[in-house]
Amino acid sequence: MVRTIPIELTVNGRRRALEVAAHHTLLDVLRDDLELTGTKECCLVGECGACTVSLGGRIVDSCLVLAVEADGAAVLTVEGLAGGGRLTPLQQAFLDKGAAQCGFCIPGQLMSALALLQATPAPTREAVEEAIAGNLCRCGGYEQIIDAILAAAEADER
Amino acid sequence: MHTFAYARPTTLAEAVAILDEHGPGARLLAGGTDLLIRLRDGTARPVLVVDLKRIAELRPAIREEDGRLVISAGTVMTDIAADDTVRRFFGALAEAASVVGSVQIRNRATLAGNVCNASPAADTAPALLVYDAVVVTEGLSGIRRIRVDDFFVRPGVTTLGRAEIVVAIELPMPARKMGAVHVRRTRRRGHDLASATLCCGVDAGGVTRLAYGSVGPRPVLAVDESGVLGDPAAPDAAKAPIFERMFADASPSPRSMRASPDYRLAMLRVLGTRALRTAIDRLAQA
Amino acid sequence: MSAASIGTSPNRVGGIGRVTGLTEYVADIRLPDVLEARLVTLECARARIISIDASEALKLPGVRLAMTAADLPEPMPRFGPQFADRPVIAVGETRYHGEPVAIVAAETKDAAEEAARLVHVEYEELPAVFTLAAALDPASPLVQDPALRPNDRLASTNVLREHLVGWGDVAAATADVVVENTYTFPMVTQFAIEPHAFMAAPDGDGIAVWSTIQHPYWLQKVISKVLGLPLSKVRIFAPDPGGGFGGKQHAKLEPLVAFAALRAGRPVRLILSLEQTFQAVRRASCEVRVRTGIERDGALVFEDIEADYLIGAYADIADRVVGKGSYLAAGPYNVPAVRIVARSVLSHTVPSTAFRGFGNPQVNWAVESNLDEAARAIGMDRLAIRLRNLAKRGDAFVPFDTPADGDWEQTVNRAAELIGWGSPLPPGYGRGIALGIKSGPTTGLSYSTVRLLADGSVIVYAGTSDMGQGARTVFAQIAGQELGVPLEWVTVVMGDTAIVPYDQQTSASRSTVLMGNSVLQACRSIQAQLAAMAARLNGLDEASVVVDRGVVHLPDCQLAVVDVLEAGLGPLGGELTGNGETRKDAEPDHPLGGSAAFFEFNCTAVEARVDEETGDVVPVRHVTVSDVGKALNPLQVAMQDDGAAIMGLGHTLMEHYIFDESGRIRNLGAIDYRIPTSMDLPLELRSEVVENEDGPGPYGSKGMSEGALLCVAAAVGAAVQDATGVAIRDLPLTPERVWRALQERPVR
Repeated sequence: MVRTIPIELTVNGRRRALEVAAHHTLLDVLRDDLELTGTKECCLVGECGACTVSLGGRIVDSCLVLAVEADGAAVLTVEGLAGGGRLTPLQQAFLDKGAAQCGFCIPGQLMSALALLQATPAPTREAVEEAIAGNLCRCGGYEQIIDAILAAAEADER
Repeated sequence: MHTFAYARPTTLAEAVAILDEHGPGARLLAGGTDLLIRLRDGTARPVLVVDLKRIAELRPAIREEDGRLVISAGTVMTDIAADDTVRRFFGALAEAASVVGSVQIRNRATLAGNVCNASPAADTAPALLVYDAVVVTEGLSGIRRIRVDDFFVRPGVTTLGRAEIVVAIELPMPARKMGAVHVRRTRRRGHDLASATLCCGVDAGGVTRLAYGSVGPRPVLAVDESGVLGDPAAPDAAKAPIFERMFADASPSPRSMRASPDYRLAMLRVLGTRALRTAIDRLAQA
Repeated sequence: MSAASIGTSPNRVGGIGRVTGLTEYVADIRLPDVLEARLVTLECARARIISIDASEALKLPGVRLAMTAADLPEPMPRFGPQFADRPVIAVGETRYHGEPVAIVAAETKDAAEEAARLVHVEYEELPAVFTLAAALDPASPLVQDPALRPNDRLASTNVLREHLVGWGDVAAATADVVVENTYTFPMVTQFAIEPHAFMAAPDGDGIAVWSTIQHPYWLQKVISKVLGLPLSKVRIFAPDPGGGFGGKQHAKLEPLVAFAALRAGRPVRLILSLEQTFQAVRRASCEVRVRTGIERDGALVFEDIEADYLIGAYADIADRVVGKGSYLAAGPYNVPAVRIVARSVLSHTVPSTAFRGFGNPQVNWAVESNLDEAARAIGMDRLAIRLRNLAKRGDAFVPFDTPADGDWEQTVNRAAELIGWGSPLPPGYGRGIALGIKSGPTTGLSYSTVRLLADGSVIVYAGTSDMGQGARTVFAQIAGQELGVPLEWVTVVMGDTAIVPYDQQTSASRSTVLMGNSVLQACRSIQAQLAAMAARLNGLDEASVVVDRGVVHLPDCQLAVVDVLEAGLGPLGGELTGNGETRKDAEPDHPLGGSAAFFEFNCTAVEARVDEETGDVVPVRHVTVSDVGKALNPLQVAMQDDGAAIMGLGHTLMEHYIFDESGRIRNLGAIDYRIPTSMDLPLELRSEVVENEDGPGPYGSKGMSEGALLCVAAAVGAAVQDATGVAIRDLPLTPERVWRALQERPVR
């Protein structure tokens, strides 16, 4: 019987209390225990960024964070972006600029984009490229993703 | 992943005691960007994982103290790359920190962890060597200060003792102006593990410190005190033999997937030459 | 409410789910009592299985199942789109690094992982062939039992098939200049960000299977056959895959998971790790020997091409890839004499399968590069030589196939203009230009049903797989346009074989043309019914009523479709249903089984900067122009072409499998297999289309999305040669490879 550890964390603004195995990652717990499957599983070595979430206000690869490490922390996932059924300007920009093709990398891209725009409201194209360098897109939708992020930045400016 | 017990000490003493009790059966967890990969692929099978992030003494902090810049063990790459003092006085370290993986990795990976992991390709190692960094540890026998050049042994192995924890990395505030740069070779422009890393620093006294990694079991520091390398007017023919002497300890592994030995050795020379030029320029501007 | 019209770029249907994380991919679907499965594989390329002991695994709490070949019917059921050669699970021997020998299933992932570790396999490693040279060596072991191919003269070799295509007499042809070289293309993998995932559950007296599959109806046939169930008892759920690129076209582990589910009496789910996907699907590597004969004035005389593709241990669709991929190897040119010999060569490696481009990128790399060398040999401009020989619309450039179906010169000239061909470049910079061509589908069958509901809203049923190319949106746009409703009023239902009518497959960039035409037909049928309804209601002749884009035109007035529907359906309500069928039958005498429905034609031009000291190649400007007929959704077209260009840069500059001496893959996973990131983009990427409305699809469209990948390597390689004077004939052009080639360059 695997011993579990009780943790409490805030996920998308909601306090959650659960028992987790020490070796389960934050990604495992988000997807399997909390049934928030918006955050995706791909490389599991911190290279592809499909599992990107915001932890304590910073984006991380949730596959490289043990769930127990998130005890007491605030986590934001893609499901926590839209409030009350309304898309955020960033999500809308992703739609309008055609940033999503197969869509599998998009939750991670959105989290990285959000972090960038919070720190740098008016980024250059180069800064955007760097900000999402840890989010692989095999559909090769980078140009549209970057366009979307720049459009969202501009929309916020106005 | 195999399961393990998890401890979250809140004091250094507690952590040291845990290590003393469990020895190699315990693994320390800071950023986790190296450890979690090993836990997943089974190359690390600890009985106990010790999370250091609640220990007050190790909390992320960069501060000047007694002529040294003290970077606490919990400080992550993002903060090192962004810190004004680091960028001003230890620019090559900021550069190195800014290329460790992606934003997501840099938000978790600690400088101390990078050093303790002791990968020959550790991006921050060459800069730490050039800046003469000191690894500050606490253990059963108290506090130790270990020059970073005496810290690395071979891949995955440092001179850390059994129940000893890195608490900070210290960089002596430079006595003389220095121009320095961190450069590396990768397989693509996007983030990558380096197939050669190099840091070159030239100071106002003409001393050139050059450190390189990923071309042998541990990063290597070489120093030229003749002043020839740091002299912008000296001809390439005069510099070449000095470079050769500095690179003599490079012994890249033939088993590497990332690059062949001859390419790595050739790139050392290319990186060295380019880095030297940049370092001289930066010194002039400092 | 305005109807979405063709040629505009409304937001992607299904886009909202993608930006909110609510779209469910297979791995996100969890049935309440599902068992988690894990595979047991061996750490070698080839082994004789001596014994498998799962007793310890079965003792673990939570473990419900451990299956090996011994638990499956005898003889072992086999499947495969070309040959039924792949066993449901390895029996007696494993033939590639990663071939499963057992499957375990447990209540939790942890228990399954632990159980997999506890399955003890006794095996003997056997010598494996994993290079072309080894596979072709008569002394090497055979990958497949010769008894499987009794009347085949190649049965005692590792050559599965030899494909011969040609015309004219190459042997007798004489040319002023002959250029001959050998080129290689690496082994690469699809690396969709969504790993393959499979789930099966007993469903009454049948079975339900969830898969990331691109071809749900093919899969349905396979499951039906191996389980011995009628098609009507096999239900395939195919949620939109998170990227496919060909790697999810054909059945891989679904049969095994299906057997496991029936055995367990419960749903069983298997999600591959990224590393396992590298061990499940890949592109065939290739060695191509090209002899090009050319006259001094630039006229091509002959192309003599020999292509050896290294396919894997089981055929999958790989032999078709070889045949179809090599077929147009001579390029979109008028070449009087052509001889193409393409061989699919078996090896103890991951079975290669379809991958965007379908065998064309490999030969394109070789033949376009060789054409450049021929141009250099006669001192002719590399753009001029292509224009001089380029097929014009209607030319039977492949004598027994569809003639050239576009104004290809227009595409080439536009690309040349955009790249600034001929303008001076600074030192260290070079320019390359290349042409790519690929046949669209040669056979096909797509049914669609469209329902016009009482309030004028629409449901479209289309069995295509939308894996990112935007098929769902295109079909909604067609229905919206034809029936005069905005996209918000159109629902497109896909991915359920119990509900959606038959579609042969999603491949060869066919869906806009084949399924699109079916959707169009179904809508036209509904329009005819509306016309009849309006005529009946108004006492008119049917011929005098025209229904167009949601408006019913009577001689004296116009009515909205909704009004006609309300009046016509009456108090009982109801709906109108239309069906469409697009069929392209096989042509038995044709070398490919059928002529091309259309061609994908692309011109790619690249300006690259080479750092000769390090070997770094930076694509400074990358132009890609495709001949698409009509861009039904221009933004989606641009996204696909940009994406194909970037994917092409992957195998051009950085992607390749690395093997050890025994045929084990060394660089499994994302750390040491490099694909382009956002920081590996061309400094400027420009994609454009030529639209002459000359395609067979709706509104004159052709299929697209593979074209922009086909000739990336040749264009970049040419740019490198232009910058450095060195022609490199092996991909990828990693910094080390380029550096080495420059080191070995003869001193100028």
